[in-house]
Order: sequence, then C-alpha cells, then structure tokens
Amino acid sequence: MSSVSAVFVNQRAEIERLARLAERFGTEQHLSDDDVMMINLVLDEVVANIISHGYDDAGEHQIHVTLALDDADLTIRVEDDGRPFNPLDAPPPDLTLPLEDRPVGGLGIHIVRSVMDAVEHRRDGSRNVLIMRKAIGRT
Amino acid sequence: MDIVESTSAGSPGVLTLTLNGRLDADGTDTFAGRLAICIDRGERRIVLDLAAVDYVSSVGLRSLVLGAKRLAPLGGRLVLCQPQARIRQLLDIAGFTSMFPIAASRDEAAERMA
Repeated sequence: MSSVSAVFVNQRAEIERLARLAERFGTEQHLSDDDVMMINLVLDEVVANIISHGYDDAGEHQIHVTLALDDADLTIRVEDDGRPFNPLDAPPPDLTLPLEDRPVGGLGIHIVRSVMDAVEHRRDGSRNVLIMRKAIGRT
Repeated sequence: MDIVESTSAGSPGVLTLTLNGRLDADGTDTFAGRLAICIDRGERRIVLDLAAVDYVSSVGLRSLVLGAKRLAPLGGRLVLCQPQARIRQLLDIAGFTSMFPIAASRDEAAERMA
C-alpha cells in the first residue's frame, strides 16, 4: 500500500495545490494520464464543494486528503470539519432535459459518483469522512 | 488558460475560440470572461476548439452551459470541437452530448453552425 496525505485549508487557491498532489501521486505510482485527471477531477469537485458550502463561519478550517493505492485499488479519502454533508443525498441530475430547462450546476457529485466505483460517507463526531474507491490500471 | 480568437473567410459569421490549458476554476474565469466579451460585441455563432484542453472540472462544465443558455435566446449557438477522448467521456457523463453539437473537426463544426 502506498499513500500520500496532505492538509488543505478552506481557500479557493488550494485547488491548484490539489492538482499538484494528484499529479505527484500519479507520477510516483506510474498512473495513466486518464487516471490522474480522474483523481484531479474528483478532488476538485469534492474539496471545492467543501470550501464553498461546508462552513458556517469565515474562519480557517483544515481539509485532510489522502490518496492510497493498494495493488490496483485506488482510495481517495477526504475529511473535513464542516457542517454535516452527505453528497450521496444529492438527487441525480436529469440529463435528458433540453438546454433551456437544464439547471446550470449540480453536476459535481454526479460526476464523482460516475467516475468512482464506490462512494461512502460517514459522520465521525464533528467530521465528514468521504471515502471513494476505484479499481484502476497501472501503466 | 490561453485563448486564441479566429475567424475564417470560408465560414462567415463564425468565431472560433481555441482554448489551450485547463478549464479548472482559474481557467474557467479566463474563458467565461472572454466568452462574455465575445457575446457582448455581437458574436452569435461560436466554436470552442477544445483539442488543447486537457482538463475540465464541473466549474468549466457550468460555464459551457451558461454560455449556451445565453446564446440560445439570441439565436446563437455554441459548438464544441475536437475534445480529447477523456474530455469527451466527461461530456458524456455530464449529459452534454444531447445538449451541445460536438464536432470532430473544424470543418464539421462550421457545418454544424450552418
């Protein structure tokens, strides 16, 4: 099992650091570009959501991110101390609606559920723990 | 995100925006700002050449929907052109293939505008 962990704060500028974490992990683990983009996208969606909607106060909060690879099983774990939020509660978007009726947002969680094999959320005390898994191929 | 604007005598009235970089939060700010300027000055038929875009987040996807929604009542249209395979896959997941014309080449994009 190889893993890398990093702590981010609830500021939008952190999204760029998230991308670097995904890229570094991808290089170290010899992942394909497609897998690196997938990790990047999932982190981007989940953490941006926490930063934008997770907190009731304007103070600084930490978001813990771990990427782990066990053989070909990738696990992405994101932990925050924001308000309770289970992304699995979000209703799926209606992708058959024509352009004029289509809401502008609401795609992030749908994308995460679509690209990962499994998504698990639990509330651990005052923290949200989101664990996402996917079987990936190594190059 | 670098953006090149171009027109072609063979496709009058069509503006092509060639995007180079990432449609992440920052890249999308740049792109959405440029697209708004183009629509404000009267461009209605806009091709987005995505061949050199290697990453799109949901913020980027949102900006595409916003652009298309703004153009539609003006009689305009946004055509996506040459997305990389993984971006194309994302567009499928997001249900965009039924919402946007997606062209495999600049020529096809011009045809989809006609």
